[in-house]
Amino acid sequence: MLDLRPYAYLIPLLPLSGFLLELFFGKYTWRRGGIIANILIFISMLISFGIFYNLYFEGLPYTEYSWQWFYPGIVLGVVVDPLSIAMCCMVSFVSLLIHIYALGYMDEDPSKALYFAETVLFTGGMLGLVLSNNLIQLFIFWELVGLCSYLLIGFWYYKPEAAAAGKKAWLFCSVGDFLFLFGIAVVYKYMFAHGEPLTFSNIFIHLEEGVIPPEVLTLVAILMLAGVSGKSSQFPLHGWIPDAMEGPTTVSALIHAATMVTAGVYLVARTFPLYLAAPHGMMIVAILGAFTALFAATLGLVVNDLKRILAYSTISQLGYMLSVLGVGGVVGAYAVGFSLYHLISHAFFKALLFLCAGAVLHGLWNTRCIYEMGGLWNKMKVTAITMLVGSLALIGFPLTAGYFSKDMIVEAAYEFAVSGDSTLAYLPWIFLTIGVLLTATYTFRAYFTVFTGKPKTYLAEHAHEASKIMTTPLVILAACALLFGAVQKPFYHFVSTTFDYLNLAHLAEMGGNHVAHVAHHEHAHVPITIKFLPTVLSLTGLGIAGYFYYNHRIDVGKYITRDNPIYKLLWNKYYIDYLYKDIIVERIVVPLAMFVDSFDMYGIDGVVNGIGRITMSIGKAARKIQTGDIQDYMVPFLIGIGIIAAIVKLLGVS
Amino acid sequence: MIPLEYYLAVSSLLFTIGAYGALTCKNGIRVLMCLEIMLNAANINLVAFSRYVANATGQVFAAFSIAIAAAEVAVGLAILILIYRMYNTVDVSKLIEMRW
Repeated sequence: MLDLRPYAYLIPLLPLSGFLLELFFGKYTWRRGGIIANILIFISMLISFGIFYNLYFEGLPYTEYSWQWFYPGIVLGVVVDPLSIAMCCMVSFVSLLIHIYALGYMDEDPSKALYFAETVLFTGGMLGLVLSNNLIQLFIFWELVGLCSYLLIGFWYYKPEAAAAGKKAWLFCSVGDFLFLFGIAVVYKYMFAHGEPLTFSNIFIHLEEGVIPPEVLTLVAILMLAGVSGKSSQFPLHGWIPDAMEGPTTVSALIHAATMVTAGVYLVARTFPLYLAAPHGMMIVAILGAFTALFAATLGLVVNDLKRILAYSTISQLGYMLSVLGVGGVVGAYAVGFSLYHLISHAFFKALLFLCAGAVLHGLWNTRCIYEMGGLWNKMKVTAITMLVGSLALIGFPLTAGYFSKDMIVEAAYEFAVSGDSTLAYLPWIFLTIGVLLTATYTFRAYFTVFTGKPKTYLAEHAHEASKIMTTPLVILAACALLFGAVQKPFYHFVSTTFDYLNLAHLAEMGGNHVAHVAHHEHAHVPITIKFLPTVLSLTGLGIAGYFYYNHRIDVGKYITRDNPIYKLLWNKYYIDYLYKDIIVERIVVPLAMFVDSFDMYGIDGVVNGIGRITMSIGKAARKIQTGDIQDYMVPFLIGIGIIAAIVKLLGVS
Repeated sequence: MIPLEYYLAVSSLLFTIGAYGALTCKNGIRVLMCLEIMLNAANINLVAFSRYVANATGQVFAAFSIAIAAAEVAVGLAILILIYRMYNTVDVSKLIEMRW
């Protein structure tokens, strides 16, 4: 087959050009927009899969293409390796399906063309981010997808909640991005001396020589992790995704479930050697991810908004992906494979779940509270079945994609736990295991409440199935969520060869990690009980959900009261939003802003205006010499000539 | 031949008279005349030096200078006539419209 690797730059460029086409000409195309976006993303997808074929089946070498941009060392480029191409295939494929679905979902929206312009820009930005071969370019696309996220959350800007949610997302991400940019600056400071293009591969190669001191590496790792925390919505910057559900459901599926929020995980996967070489870097990633996985899962138990339940589960699953990268200090490069595998299967089933939720919302006139639904199984057969598949994949039901991917993560966390010398190393495994139980419970709480029982409102009684154009992507995604597990082993092997050009063992040693098996992941000795624990727990969780919400053996309403302290704590999201808004923002940021504003008004402006005022008063005094009498002007003129003559005479110029 | 210094003395005398007149006269026409005197002082200088160094260039310059002075007087007088029509005076100390 044709070697498509040199055309990799087209993968992001086509959708990016689609932004302008869709923006200016979209509304004149078939059904007021959308078709250009679909075609361009389809072509990008073909190129992505073509390159995947080149790399995997034809075994062409991994490569990168750089173009000098400005200043020696700052380059633009694309990197073609398993990590980026696997992501590209997933992003373009899922994005295409969601775009097809959106043709139906957004059909009645008056600004359909604008919607597609923004989503196609987002897709281009995401593909560009994935293919970037250096940190600066990655950061540019990182901000571009953040911008698209902001625009699309606030797509229905006339709703005050949507506008506020967009602003919240932007602010949360900005906090992380600022620290991330600072981290990039630190890396570049140490790398500039070498005068080589500052691509990822060059940075890693120089890293092996110990160019960056270890304590600085840890700082960089933490700063980058702050960016990851903002973008991937990890604790403590997790609060924006649930609010981001105010946007169209297709946006939630595309940006806040399948692709953009995984950018943070992708960043850690891409800079995996850097984290490996940073002392404590791995441990921080593992614990942060695992803690978020558990933390978000507990919150998912109490929200009543269908989309928010899915949002919390997204945060929780992102925690899984992140923490398995963190345990890479023990399992080596395979951790990248584990993480990316879960990332892709999550993209399938979470996009599926969101699109199903979109179909439900579409059928019920945008009702989002699960207690106003009920009994939809008979009315929306396709949606109900595909959502069941998605939910099963999410909880890791045996033989679905989620089963293979999540089990591997929990097992890797167990290996990390037993190989570590501190009890701290047990935390990720404990958090992740409890998370599995909670995931199953909250997922099926929502599922049973929405699809079984009796319809609880008039709207739910008169719900109708979505159109063909919307159900077709659901079926395709459901098939992916079911069958993706089949490629587990080859996938791990393929992705983990990304960093073969580096001496990972040496890097791990620099970071004080004891990698058990860098090159090949021989199956470690995980006891059979531990191996099956996640499955048992997820089935238990399913049972608990069924007990409460399918059979209604126990009236849950008895526990859901303001008097129950646990419920109150969860309902208020651990008071973290209050901490941010009422304490940090109103007590610290607002006074600081007022101080800075007054400094600007009276300090900076005072100096500037003061200089102006002094100049004016000097001018006012000095202009008195302009009497208007020409004879007054002549006196200094003649005196001047006299002085010049005297100088000429004294200097003896002839 | 009359030595150079005599010419220079006459020239500086004329220049000083002209400068004094230009600074003190209130009548615009007089100021203009004083300017002419200063110009002619310069012309005397040019011609005298031209003779002294035996080079005709200075005399050519003087001829130019006279021509320009004539043009300048024409323009200056025209301006003064216009000023007189507008302000009914040619007293330069009263023409202070363009001050601060």
